[in-house]
Amino acid sequence: MLWRPHHLIRARTNFDFLGKRKIALVLSTVINVASLVGVFVFGLNFGIDFEGGIAIQVKAKQGNVQLEELRSTLGHLGVGEVSLQEFGDASTALIRVQRQEGSNQCVVNAERVMKRRAGDGWVVRPGPASTGDVVFTAPQALDAVNWRDAVSRVGLTVQERQLPRGTVNSAKIDMTPDQRAEWCQQVAIKLVEDTIGSNYELRGTESVGPKIGEELMRNGILAVVATLAAIAIYVWFRFEWQFGVGALIALLHDVLCTVGLFVLLQLDFSLTALAALLTIAGYSINDTVVIFDRVRENMRRYKKMGLIELLNFSINETLARTLMTSGTVFVAVAALVLFGGPVLYSFSIAMLWGVIVGTYSSIWVASACLVYLKLRPEQLRIDEEKAEKAKA
Amino acid sequence: MLNLQRWQTIAVIAFTALAVLFALPNVLPAVVLDHLPGWYQQSRINLGLDLRGGAHFLLEADLRSVLNERLTNLSDSVRGELRKQQVPFKDITVEQGRAVNVVLRDETQRAKAIEAIRNVDPSLGVSGSGDTIRLAYSEQDLFRRKKEVIDQSIEILRRRVDETGTIEPTIVRQGDDRILLQVPGIKDTTDLKRKINQTAKLTFHLVNEDAAAAGPAGAVPPTTMMVPTREGMQELRRSNPKAWEEIQAANPRMSPEQICRRYQPQCLPVLKRVIVGGEDLDDAKSTFEQQQGGRPIISFTFNAAGGRAFCAATRANIGKRLAIQLDNEIISAPVVQSAICGGSGIITGTFTTQQTQEQALLLRSGALPATLTIIEERTVGADLGADAIRDGTVAALVGTALVILLMLIVYGPVFGGFASLAMMVNMLLVFAGMSVLGASLTLPGIAGLVLTVGMSVDSNVLIYERVREESANGRSPFSALATGYERALTAVIDSNLTALIAGVLLFGFGSGPIRGFATSLTLGLLTHLFTATIFTRMLLSLWVRWRRPTALPI
Repeated sequence: MLWRPHHLIRARTNFDFLGKRKIALVLSTVINVASLVGVFVFGLNFGIDFEGGIAIQVKAKQGNVQLEELRSTLGHLGVGEVSLQEFGDASTALIRVQRQEGSNQCVVNAERVMKRRAGDGWVVRPGPASTGDVVFTAPQALDAVNWRDAVSRVGLTVQERQLPRGTVNSAKIDMTPDQRAEWCQQVAIKLVEDTIGSNYELRGTESVGPKIGEELMRNGILAVVATLAAIAIYVWFRFEWQFGVGALIALLHDVLCTVGLFVLLQLDFSLTALAALLTIAGYSINDTVVIFDRVRENMRRYKKMGLIELLNFSINETLARTLMTSGTVFVAVAALVLFGGPVLYSFSIAMLWGVIVGTYSSIWVASACLVYLKLRPEQLRIDEEKAEKAKA
Repeated sequence: MLNLQRWQTIAVIAFTALAVLFALPNVLPAVVLDHLPGWYQQSRINLGLDLRGGAHFLLEADLRSVLNERLTNLSDSVRGELRKQQVPFKDITVEQGRAVNVVLRDETQRAKAIEAIRNVDPSLGVSGSGDTIRLAYSEQDLFRRKKEVIDQSIEILRRRVDETGTIEPTIVRQGDDRILLQVPGIKDTTDLKRKINQTAKLTFHLVNEDAAAAGPAGAVPPTTMMVPTREGMQELRRSNPKAWEEIQAANPRMSPEQICRRYQPQCLPVLKRVIVGGEDLDDAKSTFEQQQGGRPIISFTFNAAGGRAFCAATRANIGKRLAIQLDNEIISAPVVQSAICGGSGIITGTFTTQQTQEQALLLRSGALPATLTIIEERTVGADLGADAIRDGTVAALVGTALVILLMLIVYGPVFGGFASLAMMVNMLLVFAGMSVLGASLTLPGIAGLVLTVGMSVDSNVLIYERVREESANGRSPFSALATGYERALTAVIDSNLTALIAGVLLFGFGSGPIRGFATSLTLGLLTHLFTATIFTRMLLSLWVRWRRPTALPI
């Protein structure tokens, strides 16, 4: 034997977990209400996945990123709100540009890009206000092929029938306001690229149009709801309805607490954050089911034990496992936080928090719910009688 | 209970060996891999765009304006047909996105009008009453048309993006009206967007039959140019790949005449004057001849202007060849059999169905059938991808090491070692599974793997803690192991299945990188069910039989 195993818990513990259920109830309620209020008052820091917009990762060609200088340059660019943050190290930054709305300012921007990329003589004007049309005027007459080539310089993809017939020097490109808004995303990227391209290298660009953002949001909410419902139903079928409800409430609790963390730290709430939410739900239910499984087993064995006593007993029995599993998941996620790089940072932090919350909720939310939902009224009465006796 | 049947042990070992086999191509050097069969070579994990660098576009096709355009064309045709059949009408209007409404002067003419309309398109849905006739396309027809538009766009995109056939883009339909385009390894998306944009230039020219008769050595008059044929270029590609590469790489692009002069593929002399351009071609499709045994043919339709020009040109040149030039190649040069008026015509020849389909596609590839708008774009530079790979690898290694360390400390070298072994086999199975599925490994996917590492020792923890309990209750080593294992099993299965629900739904709703995360997490949970229930059991039973311990070192 090389070395002896080290037990996390030496002997069978006998903590009165559920005796503290009132305190836990207050604590959970406070955190959840605070999270909800936080969402409505301070709001989530939605990433571009849900809000639409542009995210550009840049690296300084020399030295560090001049955040202040960049902020003022880009802030006056006419692409709306721009936010900057260091990303990973001092030579890299993440630039976020708000969703583009297809305003006339965007047409002005398009002209700037055209002048720079296609020559000084170009003029770009908006068409009638009710449409999204844009009128391009070239310094010289162009044929259809050259027209297409020219407008592609501002990221405009056009079709044969949208282009003028013959060789002309002005073209009206038909667009709906929605199409123009999507195109304006491209214009903004090109403008940022032109403005800072000499000093910074663009390492990665993400652009999510207004339309897709709403859809991703809807799908995301649907995914969370469907997951919680499916898990609750599974638990209900495998156990009893009180277990299903308990699991559901615990999961809602975990999701809300995690959302609260995102509000508190103003972490980027993106698709990856959503993945974190669902993974936390998966982890938490895993933990809860292990306790429930032991509760079910003990209920068959000790029919005369008080309900609270029995729950406490089961939680204590599984405590070593609970600590060990949360321990292994915790160290794995900690490695992600420390070494996973900036892209995974929000996700990893959320997961780390989720491991703690998920473990807590299995004991003080899911199991406590079984007491509140009067899983076995006759056994609950045994607890009450014992408490009476103790008082007397 | 603990002991496995002999065949079960053999099955577990065989399964694990199979996993090793399928995960192997990921680490084999290319030299070795080249000598192995193709299906085996393909058993590899693809790196996602966020790791290898590249561009991801989600494009939306403007199907509504396609429909409106179609309705407008329909209203033109109906107007023409009603005039021809001398059915007086007050008005023909297009109801945007829905139908064409015809208002007749005389209600009694209704039947005649409907008959005339049937001539235009027999599949139209006709409704309305009195003097009003409402014409709409059927649901199936609209559905089929939508699918056609998207499929066609995909084909055109593929042709444009991957001219040289080396980029391997992923182009797939998403939902009703979207196309996902992923191009690995490109840095500059400006060029890519221009390519998406770049319409192939389709033109119709008359063949200069005199110059053609004179042969390749003959002088070419200034009104005529030499253009390589498609077969000629394909022949050149086969016989002289170097020349073909030169032509592809040339910047600025070589003109057809330069290509003919320099490389002398099969060329045809055509008149420079363009009879009709691709912008006037409405549609081209592969069909079958009505008579004469139903040979495969290509039928095409021009718009009004194109139809007139084509009519005049064909009437004056019966018996001559008409060259159809796409970009810098002549894709076909059929002989004009008769004057083609009325806006549509056919190309006959000794074609196979496959050839007519291909030709029709080429004819249509002049222009995208619908406007494509970029609604989502993500690009990752190669060095950013390299950073992500490094970060992900370090995190995965450190995470795995920490978990193993923790298990060894808490459960000792024997049982901790078994758990670590089971976890590593689990990882191997995940890799093998991803290789067989050809799944992409993304950065969130790596996060999923790290998480799997943390969670996959859970079953061992459940079993070991139970064994400790049973041991403490005074059971003998073998009995403690068997009972502990048996009693922990329901918790293992229930807890994994519930977590699996989350994983599967994550996969269903997620997109892009999230899907990568869901894939590795879900696979991890599934394979974990195997390692937890059977693999661990095998290790324990083999160990007990071998050591016959008097006390468990746990």
